[in-house]
Amino acid sequence: MFDAAAVGVAFANLFDPFTMIMLVAGILLGLVIGILPGLGPPIAIALALPFTFYMEAVPSLILLLAIYNAAIYGGSISAIAVGIPGTGAAIATVMDGHAMYKQGRGGEALGLSLTGSIIGGLVSVVCLTFIAPVLAQVAIKFGPREFLAISVFGLVVVVRVAGANLFKGLLVGGLGIFLTTWGLDELNGAERYTFGTYHLYEGIPLVPFLVGIFAVSEVLIGAEKALKRIEFDKTSLTVKIPGLKTLAKLKGNLARSSILGTIIGIIPGEGAAVGAFFAYSEEKRRSKEPEKFGTGIPEGIVAPETANNATVGGALVPTLTLGVPGSPAAAVLLGAFLIQGLAPGPTLFDERPDIMYSLFLGLFFINILLFFIGLFAIRFAAMLIKVPMTVIVPTVLLLSFTGIYAVSNSLFNVGVLLAAGVLGYVVRKLGYSIAPLSIGFVLGPILENSLRQSITIADGSTAEFFNTPIGLGIYAVLALTILWGPISTWVRSRMAGKVEDP
Amino acid sequence: MLTQRLANIVFTVLVIIACAYFAVVAQGFEAAGLLASSGLPSRFFPQLLLGFTALCAAVVLYVYASKGEAGDEGQTVFASSAEARHGLLALAAAVVSYVVWLNFGYVVMALICGPLLCLAMGVRNPVIYGVVLALAAGVYLIFTQLLGTQF
Repeated sequence: MFDAAAVGVAFANLFDPFTMIMLVAGILLGLVIGILPGLGPPIAIALALPFTFYMEAVPSLILLLAIYNAAIYGGSISAIAVGIPGTGAAIATVMDGHAMYKQGRGGEALGLSLTGSIIGGLVSVVCLTFIAPVLAQVAIKFGPREFLAISVFGLVVVVRVAGANLFKGLLVGGLGIFLTTWGLDELNGAERYTFGTYHLYEGIPLVPFLVGIFAVSEVLIGAEKALKRIEFDKTSLTVKIPGLKTLAKLKGNLARSSILGTIIGIIPGEGAAVGAFFAYSEEKRRSKEPEKFGTGIPEGIVAPETANNATVGGALVPTLTLGVPGSPAAAVLLGAFLIQGLAPGPTLFDERPDIMYSLFLGLFFINILLFFIGLFAIRFAAMLIKVPMTVIVPTVLLLSFTGIYAVSNSLFNVGVLLAAGVLGYVVRKLGYSIAPLSIGFVLGPILENSLRQSITIADGSTAEFFNTPIGLGIYAVLALTILWGPISTWVRSRMAGKVEDP
Repeated sequence: MLTQRLANIVFTVLVIIACAYFAVVAQGFEAAGLLASSGLPSRFFPQLLLGFTALCAAVVLYVYASKGEAGDEGQTVFASSAEARHGLLALAAAVVSYVVWLNFGYVVMALICGPLLCLAMGVRNPVIYGVVLALAAGVYLIFTQLLGTQF
């Protein structure tokens, strides 16, 4: 399983000057986009995607991974400094981070968030390095029924966490999958919803659709509130790295949040925001003084920031080994693999181990460099919070238009980008989440092919359709995930009833 | 102001109508030659999904139409009329920019896209217009000079 030659090639790839430049550029770009409120990791990756078209696989993927990591961390800077989370992943950080900033302890809050992010990121990279190759070895034996179970699992989980209304999530998830049925049927060549245009023979293109859903819809939403001014006090922005005493006090929190973030990242479809909230709630639940959460305590910053960066390595586990995105940002990252002619999945570990090891090593160095760049760049980067939305909105739209055209030389694809953006805008305005829509769009082809092949293999027998121990295990975990909430609520209400009865 | 309830009712009805239309279109899918008899018909998966999506839309429609309670009671789609105007005008500006690109080329689109969006957002400060145009020139230069894109 361990390929020393591939590791050697990975080191050579990584220390190539151009790759290192991309690594640093990715961190800076990710920090900038993460800081700007509203523009999260999926948009950051989507905007950089067209540039990767001109690069080799390793530098392009390193650039995007650096952006992914740094954007998640960057979100915490605006969350702490102005109380507006730069990304969804930093929403939980606002409570204690901004409270601390208002007390004149902004430097301490920024130091805690930076340290937590780096530790969470590093732990998740280690987990990714050890788990991914093992899972790839297992996944290589997967057939259509197993892939069907994983796809269903990923979709249902993302629908459940995406919003309060389950049916709204399922509706847009279904819509996302349906849109992947357009184009020539891979299995028997039938034309489906091509409407007489050859542009649709290969279906709706993935990259323009995802960039539209994330970036263009965000631009339109941003345009609504573009004139609002952000009040920003730049004092107390010098980072104060926590001392060993503080770290020793927080070691349990750091370990738990790192593991939780990694596990939540691994679950297909879950993202950094879920990881951050989960870790924050868990630390609050375990605390002897839960009432202090939200008043500006280190634990309230370390938990979400460690967990949200830990989801990055976790999210890459299903993305790289199964081709099933671990988060919306990872879904966009899949587009980058496709641009490079690489199909993420178990065979990629056998075919291109050098690329896999380059990514693992790259992620490790990204986290190390993020620490030093974050340390010195925060003060300057934080000034970007003052860039008005009236400048960001037109620039991001023009970048999206131009970038998509540059990748494909097709104005049709620019039209797809715009249409997807309008669709994303409409569904977001109506209270739907775009996560199931984007994940559904990525999972659609896997779902259709695996379902049709499973039905063909089963040959009309339900028993044969479910004759898959791994698949049944996945369905059982899914059922448990769905039923866990209602069951625990019921048990708690029964217990409470028993206590009150006497 | 447009309420979430009304907007969601209209949206779900449109989704159900669209599902019915696409399901009918799917009936006409024809597989090519010898492959026609292999496996399940091409219309199976799209129709399955359309049925599923329509069912979900019907449930959402029922929740909004009968109970009117879906967690966003009394909420409006836009927070204020100004936000609605800015959002919808920005959408129109994006569509106009695309149409301009189709008819007059990239450079004209890049020149008008930013100012149009600024107008849509109600920007009055000329400095913002200048900055946006300078950034548009930057985007053009990066793509043409650095990446070699031809428009």
